[in-house]
Amino acid sequence: MYISGVGRTKFGNLSDNLQELAYEAILNALDDSNLDINEIGAIFVSNFLSGPLNGQLHLNSMISSLIPGINIPIIRVETACASSSVAFNQAIYCLQNYSNILIVGVEKMTGVGLLPTTDAISMAGDRTYDFPNGLIFPAAYALIAQQYMLKNNINHDILELVSYINHQNSRLNPLAHFYYKEVSKEMIKNAPMIASPLNLFDCSPISDGAVAVILSKNKTSDRDVKVMSSKIATDTISLTERINLTSFIATKIASKQAYKEAQITPADLDIIEIHDCFTISELIALEDLGICGASEVSELIKNGDILRDGPFPVNTDGGLKANGHPIGATGLAQIFEIVAQLRQETEKRQVDNPEIGLAQNIGGIGGTCGITILGV
Amino acid sequence: MAYYCSRCNKYWNYQVKRCIFCGQDLLSQHSKEYRVLGYTQVNIPSKGNEKVPYYVYLIEDENNVKKLMKSTIEYNIGDRVDFELDRKSSILIGIVGIGSMGLQIAEYFLSYGFNVHLKTRNSDKIVSIYERIQKNLSKKYTSDDVRKILDRCQITTEYLDLKGCDLIIDASSEDFDIKESIFREISEIKKENAIIATNSSSISIDKLAAVTKMPEKCIGMHFFNPVRKMSLIEVIIGEKTSNDVIDTIFAVAKSIDKEPIVIRNSPGFVVNRLLLPQINEAIRLLEQNVANKESIDSAVKLGLNHPMGPFELADYIGLDICISILNELHIELESEFYKPANLLKTLVGEGKLGIKTGEGFYNYK
Repeated sequence: MYISGVGRTKFGNLSDNLQELAYEAILNALDDSNLDINEIGAIFVSNFLSGPLNGQLHLNSMISSLIPGINIPIIRVETACASSSVAFNQAIYCLQNYSNILIVGVEKMTGVGLLPTTDAISMAGDRTYDFPNGLIFPAAYALIAQQYMLKNNINHDILELVSYINHQNSRLNPLAHFYYKEVSKEMIKNAPMIASPLNLFDCSPISDGAVAVILSKNKTSDRDVKVMSSKIATDTISLTERINLTSFIATKIASKQAYKEAQITPADLDIIEIHDCFTISELIALEDLGICGASEVSELIKNGDILRDGPFPVNTDGGLKANGHPIGATGLAQIFEIVAQLRQETEKRQVDNPEIGLAQNIGGIGGTCGITILGV
Repeated sequence: MAYYCSRCNKYWNYQVKRCIFCGQDLLSQHSKEYRVLGYTQVNIPSKGNEKVPYYVYLIEDENNVKKLMKSTIEYNIGDRVDFELDRKSSILIGIVGIGSMGLQIAEYFLSYGFNVHLKTRNSDKIVSIYERIQKNLSKKYTSDDVRKILDRCQITTEYLDLKGCDLIIDASSEDFDIKESIFREISEIKKENAIIATNSSSISIDKLAAVTKMPEKCIGMHFFNPVRKMSLIEVIIGEKTSNDVIDTIFAVAKSIDKEPIVIRNSPGFVVNRLLLPQINEAIRLLEQNVANKESIDSAVKLGLNHPMGPFELADYIGLDICISILNELHIELESEFYKPANLLKTLVGEGKLGIKTGEGFYNYK
């Protein structure tokens, strides 16, 4: 099976609403492919917060309104921040029944104020015990960061470097949330504290955006990219139910299965997209994905190994930190970047001749993980 | 609290009854003691967590069962903490005078895990007080939780039933003779170390303390209405109030997420000394036909960014209370400036006391 078309909107604080964003991404993906809308057999729509933030549910029918008179099966998938990689995964299972399936991820998060947004995002964590005890999302990752920093004897500098690299990468991606923003190391170091030890620059932004990807059973053009594997795994919703607080077992399980199915090892990866919703999760993922061993993460980053010209280029689009994090579209944005890189169509930020790429997309505090491996 | 399957050695945080792996009934394990594994100080507000900064602690009990606990108290990693039996809940609160404020203060302490004893004069009222607390708690808690909370609440007509209390708060009506007799009665029965506080908004703590055996244990603890929403507590210290008592009241106030401020005993303290002259001046503006009451309320709301205008607020407080505080300020500060405006006297004379009587400056019928 192949990815035969990708399309996205710009990410950021946008004037477009949910429908406009989804429509633009779908149109762009169709334009990018050799297909027209009548050749699409089914659609998966991925979204996290249209209920609490936009007051709109029944999104599959909303998407149907964008393609009037077609009446094909459409289904919505929600697994918090991992919604779109899981939608992609489910589309693969359905592909035996259709020639082409479109997956569209969309999220409209800005314009409702900080308090309702923070509240809504916390729905990705436990609301029965954790949220009433003040556990907003940054706080959950702050607890993980504290544990990680103590265990590996590192300080905040390495997190600042991760943030800086992602922001540098976004300066080469015109569709990124922070494409316009010149960010210095001093700005990152001196940013206001959100939940100690995480400051503003450890946190991904609240973004609007949409991405669409077309999955095809058969090859439709030379630009098509092969789907080598897509695996998902889950874990408890609360940190309090975990033994290991500095690793996400869902990432380990899903990636191990995906490597096996794709018949590759981490060393074969030419490009990696990591779910850096907070800087600390990039460090944890590098270890969980087997890119490097425990306690080698700092060295790897300091050595420049995750830079665009290094052996493991990570988040060439800017990552969640700087490309943006429109939650229901994020996993597909990672797939978009890998497809664009494998096709060698990313211009200024192009990695040299990549052949295999991996995207790690997590939901909540690692409660869901979707791993996608693509190749040419 | 965790649910444990001894056969499969698995834990659940969510309340489940049988093990999904082996079908065995689960044991509910109560945690005795917790150790701090990690923490974060959170600086951004969210719904229900509006007050920042606060700490979130990741804690673990003797069975390695973890949970999260929000607190404003500072602990370090490795500290042993007894969150279930926090020191605040070991303080027994007594409340004398179960009017609107007494009831609200009682509910507020109950919702923060304290044991509360309420003293009312009238035994006929015990059932209705109980039902009112139950009804108010039901808006926020499940019926199970309400039952558990009410287990921590006792209502009595006897002062003697307050003898175990560590902090007794007088919330009776704003009448010196009543408060004086309450202070005298409490002084007779209270534990040596117990603190007597009054929620009075205007009466001198020194005068009340003078009738007790231990004036150093007396202090003012002025809550604001509605108690649940208003963060301020004016802590009024008398000439003889001891530093230990001030520290304890501060710790209690902080533990219930209130902001205490220290005020030397003085007529009207800070809030009423500022507020009542403003209300009085607003009434004079109305009397002098400078603007109508709606315009004056709008001016204060939109020009001073107050949530309520002076006439709305006066009606909410009660015009009888407004006049009694102004009279107090007038007499104690010996200045005509505080003399209640004529229109205020007229309305009180006509029994138009504000929202509680259905009419004050505005009509609520």
